[in-house]
Amino acid sequence: MNAWLMGADVLLFTLVPCGIAVFRGNAIERLVALEMAGIVQTILLVFLAEAFHRPSTYDLALAMALLTFGGGLVFARFLERWL
Amino acid sequence: MVANIAIAVLLALCVLSTAICCLALILVKDVFNRMHYLAPVTSFSVLALLAAVALQNGWSQGTIKTILILLVLFLVNAVLTHATARAARVRQFGHWLPHPKEHILGAPHGPSSQL
Repeated sequence: MNAWLMGADVLLFTLVPCGIAVFRGNAIERLVALEMAGIVQTILLVFLAEAFHRPSTYDLALAMALLTFGGGLVFARFLERWL
Repeated sequence: MVANIAIAVLLALCVLSTAICCLALILVKDVFNRMHYLAPVTSFSVLALLAAVALQNGWSQGTIKTILILLVLFLVNAVLTHATARAARVRQFGHWLPHPKEHILGAPHGPSSQL
């Protein structure tokens, strides 16, 4: 057990308020919570990559950061125009 | 030994600031105020994380990729928050430009159809 793994464990609990916010409120409030969850998961993947000493898995965090952007933007545009 | 303590402190700062911003998601009422809490996570938290990774590994593959992640999150979050706020205004007021009654200095006003 190292500091990185402990940090990752605590970070998992920060996803709970994001989960609660995703199931409450109107569509935009849920989207904001989804974006926050995407960012927290990106940070979590960096913690895990360092905790297990696997530099190659940093790519997962980078991909997560980019996909959070793509997904959030698609939702924002749909919510603005069609939904 | 000192490096380990510094890494632990930086990780604690990262986790703590992330936790505070996540809690704000359910405590803050207005959606536009909630969007502000996306910014500290993509700047301060990731910066503390980058410092910890750099302390741990020095100039390595992990540090370079964490710098990339910081840049991506920092730039992407600004665009994403703007797009989300714009969608929120369009859903709320029918148009994203300021309402004539809002008197926002220097901002172009939306179509009069909003009145």
